[in-house]
Amino acid sequence: MEVLLAGVVFLATYALIVTDRIDKTILALLGGLAMILLGVIDQHEAFQAIDFNVIFLLAGMMILAGILRRTGFFQWIAILSSKIAGGEPFRLLIVLSIVAAVLSAFLDNVTTVVLIAPVTLYIAAALHISPIPFLISEILASNIGGTATLIGDPPNILIGSASGLDFAAFLVNMGPPAVLVFLAFLLTLRVFFGRQLEVHPDIRAEVLALDEREVLEEPRLLRISLVVIGLTIGGFLIHGVLGFEPATIALFGAAVLMLLARIEPAEVLREVEWPTLFFFVGLFMLVEGIVHVGLVAAAAEALIQVTGGEQTVTTIGLLWLSGIASAIVDNIPYTATMIPVVREFAAGGLPIEPLWWSLALGACLGGNATIIGASANVVVANLASRAGHPIGFRDYLPYGVVVVVESLLIASAYLWLRYLA
Amino acid sequence: MTEPVRLARQSRVADCQDLLEITPLLVHRDDDLLEIVRRSAVQPATRTIGVVDEDGRVIGIIRVLRLTESIVARVAPEAVMAGIRDLAEVGRFGHAVEDRIAGDIMEPPATISPEATISEAFREMHRHRVTGMYVVDSEGRPSGYVDLLELAIKLVDALEEERAEEEWEAERAEAERADSERAEAERAGAERAGTAGAQPQRAEEAEGTPDAAADDATAEGR
Repeated sequence: MEVLLAGVVFLATYALIVTDRIDKTILALLGGLAMILLGVIDQHEAFQAIDFNVIFLLAGMMILAGILRRTGFFQWIAILSSKIAGGEPFRLLIVLSIVAAVLSAFLDNVTTVVLIAPVTLYIAAALHISPIPFLISEILASNIGGTATLIGDPPNILIGSASGLDFAAFLVNMGPPAVLVFLAFLLTLRVFFGRQLEVHPDIRAEVLALDEREVLEEPRLLRISLVVIGLTIGGFLIHGVLGFEPATIALFGAAVLMLLARIEPAEVLREVEWPTLFFFVGLFMLVEGIVHVGLVAAAAEALIQVTGGEQTVTTIGLLWLSGIASAIVDNIPYTATMIPVVREFAAGGLPIEPLWWSLALGACLGGNATIIGASANVVVANLASRAGHPIGFRDYLPYGVVVVVESLLIASAYLWLRYLA
Repeated sequence: MTEPVRLARQSRVADCQDLLEITPLLVHRDDDLLEIVRRSAVQPATRTIGVVDEDGRVIGIIRVLRLTESIVARVAPEAVMAGIRDLAEVGRFGHAVEDRIAGDIMEPPATISPEATISEAFREMHRHRVTGMYVVDSEGRPSGYVDLLELAIKLVDALEEERAEEEWEAERAEAERADSERAEAERAGAERAGTAGAQPQRAEEAEGTPDAAADDATAEGR
């Protein structure tokens, strides 16, 4: 009976999240609480299941990015890079993609894409070309960049906390495939947009006339923010050695920056995305419900049957399953659900580390496939339509699918050569 | 003492536009925004610009604030970019950097007939969220301009001093009279059912008037 209840609550919550008619934070909370109210798990178990490493790491990084975004840093770096590109549209596309990828590796993807968008829109208008190729490239780059580090993308944060793999391990194992995928992506951009981006040399000058110093609003705050964020990332690199969780380091960085920035904490905390954090809270309780009744173990068992328990097939299969699933459902609930499944695989005797990387690569890279695959995609689509250049589901799909397929092929080769061969 | 308010609310737009003496600012769809902003600068009282076609009919309006955004985005984009924090701001900026001519930023026309009352003009301006409206003839050709702020100032002056007690008392007396009339009508109602219905209705109308007047003035003033 409990099994049935847990399964129904879980599937109903998922189905409602996919239909996107009710806010996903409310659904996750209701689903998680339903597990308690129906007696599937007790309150204590439910609250124990909430992974505060994930919540606090996200909150800390949101605070750091929230203060940094006040300084004009994102716009500054985008203008500076554009001037380096010299007003040639395709070079600009490449440079802005690199900016989006690198910033997204360390900061929130949504903040990154929103704050380099004004520069992008201005450049496109100045060059009399459509901003859509730029915006699409920035979405794709941002999700690829986020794959590289433990803090780059929410699935990595979830996996990092669940697996105990530290920031350095993520960088060493996820960094190389992210770089390879990104290089292939840059080559693909030439095929996608190379021809569309031709402009008369005369109008290139307008881009070069932008003055990056003008967007720096608070130089003192910028210096402090960059130093604190730099030290926090340094702290992440050695958190394993120090014996602290990344969440502790992120919260410490956030508290120090709030102290030094001399901004009202209430004002800073308002910029924290509370809906995302509560989405995680609900999700952890919801997933605990199906883990508790043994549904996850049964699902893992069934998957092992399909792959025959063979390591290569299971690992590569998990990568593609994750990639495809993340294109359709939000990659955050997907990852939260698959983490206990991966644990079951390991309990069945498979080496666990390649499975973690496989899940992480699939979930992060798969988010690129559709315009709803990851939060950065949804946000860019929204801002593009507000700016009068709507990007429809079908407009985006071909680019997304090509990039995801090539990403997963590269990731498969990487996993096989590094861990399985 | 209630006369000035009532007069202002019910007087014709045509009378008020003479009182305000604001010169209309009319441009064409293809006019360059830089040219329009130069003309707008010498006519600061005209906060809504009218866009007219070849026949002189109003086909759209431009808010001065929107015009300013576009100009600043063109001449000093960094100044606008630096302050952008959210999606809506990115969207507005995206439009602003691409605007070149009046047609790019014009909105559907909000106009008023000279025969309409000031009260109606207020309601229309509030509905369209504009601060001024062109007064047009039956063919859509502008004959003048009425401005929300200028009108509101005149109304508020009158309202502040004279509205309160006397008007309320007058209304209460009116309501009491209506009540007693209604009671009387109900008493007689058993025999003469046909005439009773009209009286309470008139009483409701009388009660509605002062509230509506106050709402108009405060809501539009915001």
